Amino acid sequence: MVAHSGSSRVVRAAGRLNEPRAAVVEARVDGMPVRVNRLPVEVVREEWRVVDRWWTEEPVSRRYFEVVLQSGENAVVFRDEEKACWFTQRGA
Amino acid sequence: MIACLLIPGFELRAALRKQPGLALRPAALSPAAGAEPLLGPVTAEAERLGVRPGMRLGEGLATCPELVLVEQDPAAAEQAWEEILRALEDTGFAVDPADVGCVYFETRGVERLYGGLEPALRRALTAVGTAWDPRAGAAQRRFAALAAANVARPGQILVVSDERLRDFLAPLPLELVPMEPRRRAELHELGVKRVGQLAGLPGSAVAERLGPDGRRAWGLARGGKAARVRGRRPPAEIVEALEFPEAIGNELTLRRAFGALVETLMARPERRGRFVRKLALSARLVGGGSWRRSATLRDPTTELDRIKAALGPKLAELPAPVVELRLELVELTEQDGQQLELLPAAGGELDVRLREGLRQVRASTGSGSVNQVVEVAPWSRIPEARALFVPRDD
Repeated sequence: MVAHSGSSRVVRAAGRLNEPRAAVVEARVDGMPVRVNRLPVEVVREEWRVVDRWWTEEPVSRRYFEVVLQSGENAVVFRDEEKACWFTQRGA
Repeated sequence: MIACLLIPGFELRAALRKQPGLALRPAALSPAAGAEPLLGPVTAEAERLGVRPGMRLGEGLATCPELVLVEQDPAAAEQAWEEILRALEDTGFAVDPADVGCVYFETRGVERLYGGLEPALRRALTAVGTAWDPRAGAAQRRFAALAAANVARPGQILVVSDERLRDFLAPLPLELVPMEPRRRAELHELGVKRVGQLAGLPGSAVAERLGPDGRRAWGLARGGKAARVRGRRPPAEIVEALEFPEAIGNELTLRRAFGALVETLMARPERRGRFVRKLALSARLVGGGSWRRSATLRDPTTELDRIKAALGPKLAELPAPVVELRLELVELTEQDGQQLELLPAAGGELDVRLREGLRQVRASTGSGSVNQVVEVAPWSRIPEARALFVPRDD
């Protein structure tokens, strides 16, 4: 009999922790979120900006908001100024 | 000697007890709901017309258009099998059931009682009853006894001595040796179709080509190990059933009924504070069939929530509305207490427990389900750049 020549080794890739997830956000004219994933925003607790890697091909420019939703849930959302999209993110 | 008593197509025979007229017509056990559409055991008439067990449903119906599909009745099969095991136990055999329709027992203890090996096996066949067409095989090894029972005709006893074991096994088809279908197909492609051909190959080559499963099959083809048969512990027989005035399909109602059954069953005085190790949930379905699932708890318990968590999710697998729900405690532990820890586990002990926990998670959810978080740039202002999760399978 002839032994198998193939290898059964499986290669699995590592993933990023706290990867941003696309969110449906309605915002006011001044950019403040009023609804996150169809839930009304009760209060905006904090706001900050992250501008980084502007010297690379993939610059990061985000406007973050920490909000409390009407359901009582805390959430962090940001608007990606480069892609003009909204995301939620944990661990921010 | 180790004896094997075999009733081929037991599930079909059990399902046909309610409609005995079908036994003489071409009939086959229908596939389970949600399973691959393969036919189960078939009647002799169906086999005469070309239908084979394991055939695709469409192929079976095309081969024999008048084929009758018999709905599976696992609860009835389980009950009938339990009756047979008890009949054997009442006759003095310490039985070790392998599957429904296949049971092993040691004859040494009862040979003197019945006047020899063959009279003892004849007694076992009588205890089962001729209606089931049982057959018996006996040998020094478990697999050889199974092979002998497979070859025997209904009501026949076949005894194989160790001296002529090789010659007996050699011409038998490879299908008799339990192994993964993929491995069997691989052997067929290599021209290995008989047990003797597999036994004649070098063990190291089989192990290298087919892995541990193939090595095990090779060992069996050479007769298998001379392991002893241990009699089972008789089931606990504590059962509660709930009959509904009308068929129930709503999962919420079924969950509530299941919760009530668990509470009533655990409060039964026969349990006498013993812990539950194995329990089974069965249901009588509105169409006349039945459904059964069992669960063995990793740690015996009396906690209602753990018992509900073990069997409750299986209610979602019910294929049809239910007219009766039945819960039975299949196995109870002997002890009625649990050793508590004087000091909380720490250091190496905690590490061992964590590894064991992770091993169990991997075993139940598959490879790649356990990950380790590795910090790569904890100072980064971009949250997703700070850490990675890396699969761990060690």
